[in-house]
Amino acid sequence: MQPVVMRMIKNAIWKDRLAHAYLFEGMRGTGKKETALLLAKSLFCEDPAEGYIPCESCRFCRRINHGNHPDVHVIEPEGASIKKHQIKMLQEEFAKTAMESNRKVYIINHADLMTVNAANSLLKFLEEPDSHTTAILITEQVQQILPTILSRCQVVSFKPLPFEKLVEMLIDAGVNPKKAPLIAKMTNSFDEGMALNEDEWFAQAQKLVVKLYETLKKSPLEALTALQDNWFAHFSERDQHDKGLELLLLLLRDLLYIQLGKKEQVVFLLEEQRLEQLALQSSGLRLANQMASVMEAKRKLHANMNPQLLMEQLVLELQEG
Amino acid sequence: MKHMYPKNGRVILHVDMNSFYASVEMAYDPSLKGKPLAIAGNPEERRGIIVTCSYEARKYGVKTTMTVHEAKKLCPSLIIKKPNFDRYRAASLGMFEILRQFSDLVEPVSIDEGYVDITDSYELGSPLEIAQRIQKRIDRQLDLPCSIGIAPNKFLAKMASDMKKPMGITVLRKRDIPTVLWPLEIEKMYGVGEKTAQKLRKINIHTIGDLASANEIQLKGLLGINGIRLKEWANGIDHRKVDPDAVTDYKSIGNSTTLPKDLANLQELLAVLESLSETVSIRLKRKEVKAQTISVTIRYKDRTTITRSRKLINPVSGHREIFLQAKDIFLKNWSGEKVRLLGITGNDLISEEYAFKQLDLFTYEKEAEKEPLLKAVEQLKDKYGTEVIEQASRHAKVRKEKTGWTDTSFNKDFLADFTSPSEKDE
Amino acid sequence: MKFSIQRERLVESVQDVMKAVTSRTTIPILTGIKITAAEQGVTLTGSDSDISIESFIPREEDGDEIVEVVEPGAIVLQAKYLGEIVKKLPTDYVDFEVQNRFQVIIRSGMSEFNLIGQDADEYPLLPQIEEDHVFKIPSDLLKNVIRQTVFAVSTTETRPILTGVNWKIADNELVCVATDSHRLALRKARIEGDAGQTYNIVIPGKSLNELYKTLDDTSDPVEIVITENQILFKAKNWLFFSRLLEGNYPDTSRLIPTDSKTTVVVKTKDLLHSIDRASLLAREHRNHVVRCTTIDERTLEISSISPEVGKVVEELPCESIEGEELKIAFSAKYVMEALKALEGTDIKINFTGAMRPFIIRPIGDESILQLILPVRTY
Repeated sequence: MQPVVMRMIKNAIWKDRLAHAYLFEGMRGTGKKETALLLAKSLFCEDPAEGYIPCESCRFCRRINHGNHPDVHVIEPEGASIKKHQIKMLQEEFAKTAMESNRKVYIINHADLMTVNAANSLLKFLEEPDSHTTAILITEQVQQILPTILSRCQVVSFKPLPFEKLVEMLIDAGVNPKKAPLIAKMTNSFDEGMALNEDEWFAQAQKLVVKLYETLKKSPLEALTALQDNWFAHFSERDQHDKGLELLLLLLRDLLYIQLGKKEQVVFLLEEQRLEQLALQSSGLRLANQMASVMEAKRKLHANMNPQLLMEQLVLELQEG
Repeated sequence: MKHMYPKNGRVILHVDMNSFYASVEMAYDPSLKGKPLAIAGNPEERRGIIVTCSYEARKYGVKTTMTVHEAKKLCPSLIIKKPNFDRYRAASLGMFEILRQFSDLVEPVSIDEGYVDITDSYELGSPLEIAQRIQKRIDRQLDLPCSIGIAPNKFLAKMASDMKKPMGITVLRKRDIPTVLWPLEIEKMYGVGEKTAQKLRKINIHTIGDLASANEIQLKGLLGINGIRLKEWANGIDHRKVDPDAVTDYKSIGNSTTLPKDLANLQELLAVLESLSETVSIRLKRKEVKAQTISVTIRYKDRTTITRSRKLINPVSGHREIFLQAKDIFLKNWSGEKVRLLGITGNDLISEEYAFKQLDLFTYEKEAEKEPLLKAVEQLKDKYGTEVIEQASRHAKVRKEKTGWTDTSFNKDFLADFTSPSEKDE
Repeated sequence: MKFSIQRERLVESVQDVMKAVTSRTTIPILTGIKITAAEQGVTLTGSDSDISIESFIPREEDGDEIVEVVEPGAIVLQAKYLGEIVKKLPTDYVDFEVQNRFQVIIRSGMSEFNLIGQDADEYPLLPQIEEDHVFKIPSDLLKNVIRQTVFAVSTTETRPILTGVNWKIADNELVCVATDSHRLALRKARIEGDAGQTYNIVIPGKSLNELYKTLDDTSDPVEIVITENQILFKAKNWLFFSRLLEGNYPDTSRLIPTDSKTTVVVKTKDLLHSIDRASLLAREHRNHVVRCTTIDERTLEISSISPEVGKVVEELPCESIEGEELKIAFSAKYVMEALKALEGTDIKINFTGAMRPFIIRPIGDESILQLILPVRTY
């Protein structure tokens, strides 16, 4: 699944050049945790194929898969963060020898959810490397990792699934081929994609986005009323607004593709005919300007701007653009 | 009753329990009443020392700090008991409880004495009536004797309570000073210890009256600023207020601050903690105490509040030391959520003179280098008295801190607001 | 796996290994006890990963058959259920049988329990004893060595290495050192074994406290084996394993003064009681400071002041006081703990100055030393 990463692991083990600490970084659903456990198994397996592919059947591999290996520690956030007692346990482990051999592996999932204090206590350990201990930090938010931690880890980037591959996987799993491309644009995770496919809110959101754009064509005043009447009732949370803006961006992009004659790129397949109508009423330049406005709105949303204010501004801008 | 009170000026009571420990023992075991009784560190040991004794024992010449052996020689029938500090603490609490029924301005000085400012208590009766009621109530409810001094300030009240013992009530007015106070030997004056008395006698000050008319420049040279204060007292001038927060009654000194906006930025939060540490440090130093426990309060945006504390090996009052502890406690307990209010409190306070520093095996050598200097200071103190040499910092002007945020003094009501239970750190 | 066992012995063994089991573990298999049946007998294992205890029940003892193993094998059973069940079984013998991989049947008289076990292969592997690197020490001596040092370890995590006791072995001599940086305890003892073997390890204080409870007061030898990551103690029917602390223990030998400016010889009990009395007025015993001043060549003054309560002063007659005059203050707790750890009726204290460590030793016994850092007063 991650050929580059697998090659890196193979080389590290073959050449006995394992880093002291790794940071596995990449989007959700890119197989980071599986790979971390795989690396742990590679190190402990009794009889790995080619010296690095774990057998998955010896008592070492099995115990790692079941969370029973006393020298492989996997830390997952409890609730919204990695808790104090988890870090205390970790520190106590750092201070002691391993139980079975002298090799220890620590895997910290969602390492960005460590408090600063937790990260700092980890730092102490990263500063005093011990050749038989390997730490693997996993994160989807590499920008949230403290620079002091980042600089002490070998960063391994996990590439997202290629778009076509994900569409294919979704269709194979029973998703309507007319819905699959749009879903694959919204997420890179197969699991999340399957969830969106079932999500009533998301289906409704798509309709509302197309409707908003149609209303905009008519009059800005009507669009503002529509915002109050329909939009804000449906989009309330910040991440819902984010999804709404993303859909709007995809819609504008589709319109641009239609104008350019690249219909095979269109993802709003369920609304294709309406989109073709709408595409006739706009210009390429105008669409490009509108896309820029939506992207700016997204940025402001992430900077914590009030969503209601932001949407009202955007509607006015889209009208002008 | 207002006419019995001065128009400007105050009415202060000094309540002094008579041979407190022995009296408490008698209250618990009335068969001891009227007998010579002493409380000693360890009665079975001949070398144990007398902590306090009853008036009956005093008649035989028994005094505190005598060994059991010596006391027994003077008074063979002396009954000697071990101290029961829990009983004394309970009796003390009861006594102050009674005092607070007459005024909010009660300042405990020690376990068995305190000041009460009754200036605004005129509705309860004349000063003398109030003193009589206090004495009666303490006697009836706790079965304990006390002496009370009534005067316009703390010094005179303290001197007055000492004049009739046990169960006396003495009024000392300003106009009584020349006849009552001035003829007294200088040793009888509150604030004049053995060493100070020796020095005063050397410059021909033998009575309180001599001190009242002494040369200020000479006094200042001999006793420093304390000399001037003593002269004022000898003239019946004492501006000290009855402060319920003074000495023993405060168990903690703390400050909290509501942030101008909810903050989650570590740098900013630490800056707030640093500023709070400074305020707490100033207040501790002003009271000349050190904290043996530091606690940190964090209130989040959703108003959930946690208080976490840590017992320290060495008592602290320095801004740096407080900040380091507070920072550590904060970092260990902060969830990372936005914070609305932060607070730092120093608990388990100990008077500076009893403070200490446990030396460390790996760093003691640095401390040991200062040993010759400290020895010299010790010698100077022996020679000139403790007040002479103090760290310059104690006299340094206390810097006014300049945060624009509302500072609220921690008090019991504030703490009672907290719904979440506080728990010990580590 | 199938075996029949005396209930009494099983209960005892389960209780022994339970000492190592905790429900607060992140490793699911460690909530269980491993039972291994082999030709020589049955072994029970409990572990919290820091310490592990193995208890062995032999097939027979003094001609008495304790276990009958019908079919060798191994299984892991939930510790809390196993403990409760064996205690309450009705008869003197218990039958264990594993069916369908992990299905366990426990029979005793008319009652039968069906428990779901876990794969014994999931259980941690413990080091094996190599007979050629074994040291031997009498059980009661080992107990003493632990008692006289472990109380001085640090209980805070600021320097994790100080939470353990440093064991150095060279030339058949064991030297144990513990310090929390305010006091230090050192104890030496002879041990039997290969003189060429040298070790320098740090054993967690918690583990030694547990071991102390497990050891008995006989002079039966305990075997010690040190591996790369664990230390093992082997007695007749049990094995005690502990992980070690990682890292280097600070070199304390250069911090222990060898000179003496003031030397006091005093009866251990006299000093202990005097300090105890001086702490009498302490509001709480934590951190209570006691002052000690030399008066003449036979007398020390021990005193203490408690704010708001009063003060205690007493003179303590000594056997002898030699050297410079001294005024020093120290924590009553540290000195009392050190005195309690020592044996012998007379002690010698070497002071090297008011701000420097002092050393307490029993007269005529060089195998033990207690060092204490004084307190600076203001």
